[in-house]
Amino acid sequence: MERRGRKVAPFFFFGGTMAKHIMSSLVGGDGRTHINSRLMRESLQNRDVLSNTDSERDLQIFPDVSLVSIGGQSIFDRGKDAILPLVDELVAIKRTSQHKIVIGVGGGTRVRHTISIAVDLGLPVGGMAQLVGAMEELNAILLNTLLAPHGSMPMQRDHFWDLPLYFDAGITPIAISVPPYHFWEPPPEEGHLPMHGSDFGLFQLAEVLGMKQVIYVKDEDGLYDKDPKKHADAKRFGKVTLAELMAQLPEENILDRELFHAWTAAKNLKRIVIVNGLERGQLTRALNGEDVGTVIVKEDARG
Amino acid sequence: MAERRTYASASDDGRAAAPKAERRSIDSALAGSPMTGGRDRLDYKPTAVMPDVKVVKIGGQSVLDRGRAALFPILDEIVAARKLGIQVVLLAGGGTRARHIYSIASELEVPTGVVATLGKYIPMQNARMLQMLLAKHGGLYMLPDDFEKLPLYLQMGCIPIMSGMPPFGYWEKREEGSRIPPHRTDAGVFLSAEFLGSPRAIYIKDEDGLYTDDPKKNPSATHIPRISAKELVERGLPDVVVERVVVEYLPRAQWCKELQIVNGLKPGQVLAALQGEDVGTIIHA
Repeated sequence: MERRGRKVAPFFFFGGTMAKHIMSSLVGGDGRTHINSRLMRESLQNRDVLSNTDSERDLQIFPDVSLVSIGGQSIFDRGKDAILPLVDELVAIKRTSQHKIVIGVGGGTRVRHTISIAVDLGLPVGGMAQLVGAMEELNAILLNTLLAPHGSMPMQRDHFWDLPLYFDAGITPIAISVPPYHFWEPPPEEGHLPMHGSDFGLFQLAEVLGMKQVIYVKDEDGLYDKDPKKHADAKRFGKVTLAELMAQLPEENILDRELFHAWTAAKNLKRIVIVNGLERGQLTRALNGEDVGTVIVKEDARG
Repeated sequence: MAERRTYASASDDGRAAAPKAERRSIDSALAGSPMTGGRDRLDYKPTAVMPDVKVVKIGGQSVLDRGRAALFPILDEIVAARKLGIQVVLLAGGGTRARHIYSIASELEVPTGVVATLGKYIPMQNARMLQMLLAKHGGLYMLPDDFEKLPLYLQMGCIPIMSGMPPFGYWEKREEGSRIPPHRTDAGVFLSAEFLGSPRAIYIKDEDGLYTDDPKKNPSATHIPRISAKELVERGLPDVVVERVVVEYLPRAQWCKELQIVNGLKPGQVLAALQGEDVGTIIHA
């Protein structure tokens, strides 16, 4: 079975005065006007065509920047006693080091409540994805009220090109963590919940910008083979490669599953660290490149 | 559904306060859940948002790049359908200019998320062209952020027009073996229909859909009026008529369980499709 064949005439170059300076690049002859390019007339569903667009590397835009993600449920929902020491640590990092960091936050229990209600109402998965971002934003505003006196600013959705300005000015940007899938969130592989949460969103931000690493600040000493809050015999991963981890990806996971799938297909990001934000100093050590908590590395990435 | 806010504990004087650094959760079916797997056991009875809306894609390379000769008769049929009270939302494809920027961006090895962001601009131009042509019939350009205003536009008898590109942009995932964003305008049309609870997404292209073989080379090739997404995948074609992610998502859709591919170059096909007739090829869940 094939698509019905198209009548494709040999290259035909448009004439006329208007097209004079671009006449070498406009191509017609099959009823359509094309611009000459390697992908001209091609189906972008064709595997061979697609593979021609690929290469071993992706451009790395900000390779010296670390992304720090602060958990919603794990940190913010614990209130002042968990938040303030972490803010102190972030302020000390700003004062004493040259690390360039972008911060993102999770939404926590309010996201879970939102989705519970939305599921009960039968709202489509895209509706849920559209709703949840507001809950994360509350934590971003809270964090910014605490960090602003030391130099921080919420960053607009995709204003990445402002980042050099932020770093030159000593301002730490607080990014939006939920990816903009919104009403267009794809139907999930199973269940009814959106697949693209804030962990994934921040991973993707670091990946597309070619950042150095992502550090997820949670309330456990790293990633375990099962939920350590429910199982006393849960075992923690120390340093592990992504490939090793994918062979035994925990069902109960402290990070979005979609993150691991996306990372597998990605080219840039080399290192993800999961640290305990309730333990002072773990974040600082991770930023300094030490192996603390769980360190997941992607051997074949360039990062 | 529990809606009452409960805190993990309260101090002696009755103020809501937690002991040192404990998680304070709102009681809900998902409280404490890592929400990282799909294996929820939630009772879910889906509610359709706007099931009567027809989400229609106007192809970029297949229609818009053909210009007036192809486009004007199609728009006439869309206006005729709108006058019959059929609610139509138009989504524009990209076409040859999208291929041009994808080609240059690929040479520069920019990440897929950047390619997806570049890919937003051309369908936006095409949507604006459609708006200028349809303005006298209520054509109205809208952004993804205006999506919640659809009921107003449709009740006013307008024809809302937007880019078919879903708004993922920099957050578009990379696919193995390709730098091109996997979610493009076909995906945007399907996902819009799925959100709205519309049972069938309509794609206006320049071919009748699928054939058993290339009819130009094989005169005994026959048209395939209906095929399942599964059968389509099993045929393992190097090329498919719609974006692969759409064929992948179709079986798990809640609402949009059919894709209809119609030939906009054949008079009457678009109107027939908008009236619910099974013209062209239907790919079903």
